[in-house]
Amino acid sequence: MKTKGNVSSTEKEFVFEFKAGRNHSVLKVPLQFPVQENVNDLHGRLMLLHNIPCFVEKDLKKKLLAFIEGETLEDYDREAEAALQRITNGEVDINKLSNLWAKAYTETTLEHARPEEPSWDEDFADVYHELIHSSASETLLNLEHNYFVSVSELISERDMELKKLQERQAVEMNKVMQELGKTLSDQDVNTVAAQHFDAQQVLENKWASELKQVTGIQKQEYQEWVVKLHQDLRNPNNSTITEEIKVQPGQLTEASELGARVFEEHRQLEESFTIHLGAQLKTMHNLRLVRANVLDFCKHRRHGSGGSVKLRRLQTAFSLYSSSLCGLVLLVDNRVNSYSGIKRDFATVSQECTDFHFPRLSKQLEVVQQVVLYARAQRSSKQREQPEMPRNGSNDEKNKNIERNPSNILPGEFYISRHSNLSEVHIVFHLCVDDNVRSANLTARDPAIMGLRNILKVCCTHDITTITIPLLLVHDMSEEMTIPWCLKRAELVFKCVKGFMMEMASWDGGISRTVQFLVPQSISEEMFYQLSSMLPQIFRVSSTLTLTSKH
Amino acid sequence: MQPLRDAELGAFTFFASPLPHDVCGSNGLPLTPNSIKILGRFQILKTITHPRLCQYIDISRGKHERLVVVAEHYERSLTDLLKQDKPISSEQVLQIAYEVLEGLAFINRHSLVHRALSPHNVLLDCEGKVKLAKFGFYYMTDHGADVDFPIGYPSYLAPEVIAQGMFQSTDPSLSEIPLPSGPKTDMWSLGMLLFELCAGRQVLQNIEISERLKFIITLGCMDDIVTVLAEEHGCLDVIKELPDNVLLLLRKCLTFLPSKRATPAELLEDAVFERISCLYTRYASPVSLFSSSLRCVHLQLPEDINELCKVDEEDYLTERSVDEVYHLWCLAGGDLEKELTNKGIIQSKPPVCTLPNFIVEDGETFGQGRDRSFLLDDTTVTLSLGQLKNRLKDVAGEAYYPLLEDEQTCLPQSISSNELSAAVSLPLIIRERDTEYQLTRIVLFDRLLKAYPYKKNQVWKEARVDIPPLLRGLAWAALLGVEGDIQAKYESIDKDTPIPTDRQIEVDIPRCHQYDELLSSPQGHIKFRRVLKAWVVSHPDLVYWQGLDSLCAPFLYLNFNNEALAYACMSAFIPKYLYNFFLKDNSHVIQEYLTVFSQMIAFHDPELSNHLNEIGFIPDLYAIPWFLTMFTHVFPLHKIFHLWDTLLLGNSSFPFCIGVAILQQLRDRLLANGFNECILLFSDLPEIDIERCVRESIILFCWTPKSATYRQHAQPSKPTSDGNGFVKTMAFYSSEYQDLPNTDLTREPLKLSELKAEVSPRISAEDLIDLCELTGPAHFKTPVKRPKAVKTKIVAVDIRSSEDFSRGHIPGSINVPYSSVFGPDGELLQCPSTSTLASYKSRVVVILSNITKNAVTFAAHLVKVNFPSVCVLDGGINKMKPTGLLTVPSPQI
Repeated sequence: MKTKGNVSSTEKEFVFEFKAGRNHSVLKVPLQFPVQENVNDLHGRLMLLHNIPCFVEKDLKKKLLAFIEGETLEDYDREAEAALQRITNGEVDINKLSNLWAKAYTETTLEHARPEEPSWDEDFADVYHELIHSSASETLLNLEHNYFVSVSELISERDMELKKLQERQAVEMNKVMQELGKTLSDQDVNTVAAQHFDAQQVLENKWASELKQVTGIQKQEYQEWVVKLHQDLRNPNNSTITEEIKVQPGQLTEASELGARVFEEHRQLEESFTIHLGAQLKTMHNLRLVRANVLDFCKHRRHGSGGSVKLRRLQTAFSLYSSSLCGLVLLVDNRVNSYSGIKRDFATVSQECTDFHFPRLSKQLEVVQQVVLYARAQRSSKQREQPEMPRNGSNDEKNKNIERNPSNILPGEFYISRHSNLSEVHIVFHLCVDDNVRSANLTARDPAIMGLRNILKVCCTHDITTITIPLLLVHDMSEEMTIPWCLKRAELVFKCVKGFMMEMASWDGGISRTVQFLVPQSISEEMFYQLSSMLPQIFRVSSTLTLTSKH
Repeated sequence: MQPLRDAELGAFTFFASPLPHDVCGSNGLPLTPNSIKILGRFQILKTITHPRLCQYIDISRGKHERLVVVAEHYERSLTDLLKQDKPISSEQVLQIAYEVLEGLAFINRHSLVHRALSPHNVLLDCEGKVKLAKFGFYYMTDHGADVDFPIGYPSYLAPEVIAQGMFQSTDPSLSEIPLPSGPKTDMWSLGMLLFELCAGRQVLQNIEISERLKFIITLGCMDDIVTVLAEEHGCLDVIKELPDNVLLLLRKCLTFLPSKRATPAELLEDAVFERISCLYTRYASPVSLFSSSLRCVHLQLPEDINELCKVDEEDYLTERSVDEVYHLWCLAGGDLEKELTNKGIIQSKPPVCTLPNFIVEDGETFGQGRDRSFLLDDTTVTLSLGQLKNRLKDVAGEAYYPLLEDEQTCLPQSISSNELSAAVSLPLIIRERDTEYQLTRIVLFDRLLKAYPYKKNQVWKEARVDIPPLLRGLAWAALLGVEGDIQAKYESIDKDTPIPTDRQIEVDIPRCHQYDELLSSPQGHIKFRRVLKAWVVSHPDLVYWQGLDSLCAPFLYLNFNNEALAYACMSAFIPKYLYNFFLKDNSHVIQEYLTVFSQMIAFHDPELSNHLNEIGFIPDLYAIPWFLTMFTHVFPLHKIFHLWDTLLLGNSSFPFCIGVAILQQLRDRLLANGFNECILLFSDLPEIDIERCVRESIILFCWTPKSATYRQHAQPSKPTSDGNGFVKTMAFYSSEYQDLPNTDLTREPLKLSELKAEVSPRISAEDLIDLCELTGPAHFKTPVKRPKAVKTKIVAVDIRSSEDFSRGHIPGSINVPYSSVFGPDGELLQCPSTSTLASYKSRVVVILSNITKNAVTFAAHLVKVNFPSVCVLDGGINKMKPTGLLTVPSPQI
């Protein structure tokens, strides 16, 4: 870091002579160069300090100014010539120096920067953003929905087939088990089980590749269609697609009837608050406490299960390329993949509908894995460069963990995936947590909490204005999570988030945000209301609270 | 600032470097973002005005450390001259050189160095005169330390600049940061520029940057740099034919060693400009409003006064100063970022596309490509004034030149004047955003303030309507009666010698209104420190109490470039509203103040007062920061401005009414809650609707008898004769109670303990006479007339026994003997007198008795049963006896 203190300072003496009556006085003042303080103050101070008669004030001021100006110029010249000298006597390499300058210019100024290669993603983003804010938005959404329906049909077909296979295998297995010890040995049972497993794998793979193919085709079709539609809307003379637009709604009604199929909506509990944060200047924020499954924010629902679904979908599409994004915090373990637990569930949900804008989740995760490795390499090389950097003790253990498996991530770290196909969310923060979050005495310095802070920081830098946070830092309840545990945890997270939100005001100048606190579906209604009465106390809800409860 | 004339408004944008993740400053507080540092440093540039410089107007902060600078701008620059592809006449070269040097010499005098001199930063106005642009870029970015990009353009960099390297260069061998560039670096750039003009082509354009820089460095070995340059560019013939003085000028600029190179000021005096310099007159900056010299000293009236009003091209708007025009442009819907986006200068990518992939625990991000939209493009975009002109096309010319002598018309008569007078009744927030309205207000205030202090009374009158935000700083100074050579006074105060208070000031400043960009900038902190220290040093009888920093904040914010004025305003404000609050032992002052405040609560809202007293929530617990800082500690600056716009018009008892008005807004919640909740509520004061608060406090103020807020520790009356011979005819409400002449009928000081024991305020006999409009022997005179519109309804309640009453009482008073209304325990009895009393509930009730203690108890009982507007006559009926105003009722009644 550069600090002003580093500037070499020298002391010089200013001499001023004046006559007062018969007295001849000499004033000597040591001055620090470069002069930091205001010159106008300096002479006033000298006058006061040395009781200098006022009739010499003007003279003193003039001489002082001239002295400072002259000395400063001399300093400049000396420094400058010393620098030139360094080059002539080879202390500084002229090639290295000029390359540094050239690098600075090419990296930071548009005039000297290399021209940018056009990027399909960004062009598509512009086109889409324009279309979704035009009359074509309805058509776009309908098209997306039709694709969704066909994918979900495919998925239900897959599920059916898998189920059938499993049933068949269960029957077979039963038979085998009955014969166990009679005609068949353990060995045979294992063989059958292995066969079953293989058969399942084959079927799953078959479906997976089919799905991948279908979504790939859909995505390509869709993108081509969007670009074409955009062109047609620009010059409406030779419109081929406008015909299609007219046809679309007919198909749609059918589709929506089809989608009117039962969609069991869980009893979601929800409560909203408006808060004002800040000591003098206050920023308004919205808070919401929601009892729901975390994937409810992601699951795409079919049209027909109420107009609100479609509205929500439209809202998400509208804001995709805008500066008010929605984010969700998903708690994951230390491996970047989608093989188990919530990661697997989330991956399943994200596949239910084709993502027309961003790569598939698996692809995004591949990129993340590479970036993680790159980050580790960067960090370790940096640490090797600056070994004297004092670090806290727990770090050693961390470093060991990293060395053992550099592709794993640590608690508090998170990776980000982007989605256009989830119902209420664009950005998912996959925050790594360990078993520590289950313990009763989590502190505010826990990595998971610091991770939340960093997530909120990213929200500031990337215009994510709505963020959903699992209040208890778990997605599912278990036995050790008693009522006092819940209350304690909720208090901690509420307080920390409040602190971070106040901090955020200094990061982004106080932009109004919505923060949703999510609690697992399985907590009791009573618990929910206990938490909802805690929130206004901690956040000091100042205005009247609005109470909304969905049924 | 200068009038706009034929200039345009221009804007350019750049990014400050982002801070590293989670690094704290040495004081443990988060680091100040670089954009805020730049914003704070920029402010002083607004005061640098010279005909050869493009006036800086404003800077604004956007998202993600973006900064947009607004400055005077011209479309034509030296680039246009170069594009003609032919050499420029040597006469013109000399002229341009001279004018550039004038500009450079002026900025050098303000310790600025241009460093970014290039053909496109040397603009030409309509007369072809030079205007230097971006001359503050190097300074505002802390010599390039706060931005990622280098300042300056490769071809024009001086050799020593190249040799010194960049601030960003992470070369570990440089343990010491070199000095920033000195004024002579600009001379080299100027030399290159002049060479281009002479040669008629751009130099060093076709080589790589690193080669270019190497070439410049190698010039050090050459004997004749100009010839080498000319040979390199194949224009030796042209250069050879240049007149000697031009060639000499080029050689003087393109001197390799800085010590041998001249400074701009030196070169201006040089012989090469012998024939040119006589064409130019030295620029004298205009005299400021507060100075010891005459403001009219340079005023030259033409022989024929009609020449002043020559009619040509009636574009009055461009005669307004640049900052006013910019302010109006913003009001008329101008949006800097939009203008820049339209011209393609700001190209932002959707945030969803620029997200990082992976973030580690300390917040470092990975997987985020370098975003091209963050690269520097310092093209200046002209802001179109079309929309503003269109908006103002119906404003008549008279609006720009209102006549001040005619006291009757404050608003000009024109077609739109009806609309304007209608606008006055709109809410303040709307008026402040109304372009036409603000134009007329700004013009009017500008003229009034220029005539200050002569037009002081009219400033007061207009301030009662509203104060235009653009001129609030000066308007407040006028309202506070700041006069004299404040600059010299401020400079003569020693603000540097360490004093014991320094530590406390150092702790408080980084916690005072830091949400504001200006006040949180390092420059803001420096200014804060100096103004506060100046105040502490120059008031040896008073001390620094925490809260003084908040009090200083609005003045500093409004007069950021004029510390002396901020200091002068603060020094005028404190004795008026906070007399002796900053004594080392201020407890008696504050205790008295708070007691009067609780009496005011009882007077205006007995129910609330009863509740608060019951739960023990006394003003000492919450109101000290309110009054000690005049609410600056509890409200954000924008609210304080509106609050103080009114506060400054009222007298020192107005703050009581504001306090009561705030309580009124929280009334429901206070009534519903107990002690703990109330403490919590006030520890983080909820949003207060400030316009409503102002409105209500004015009503409360009008409803309060003047003597009810009498304080013995208030500022004693000043000698009324002003040295200037001005007769102050202040309005009734702005005059101080203490300033009124003392008579036998004025209030007498009470001991604090006695005062505390009384629930209701006392009023003086003269107030009673005045309010009841009693006319008696004319020995009593009110010094000022009360406006009829706000007539206070008042009733005098005589609680003596009916015998005493019949022996003589105040005309119009009613007799409610003490024992007839209240029982022994203070409960209200049901009787005819009670209903009589109840029928006067909407009036101010003055209790009078021959025994003051009885009156006080009676009043306390009334308050207990939620009787509003109860007060006690100071001195009782005995005070009234000598006035001869008492009457004896005729027996038949």
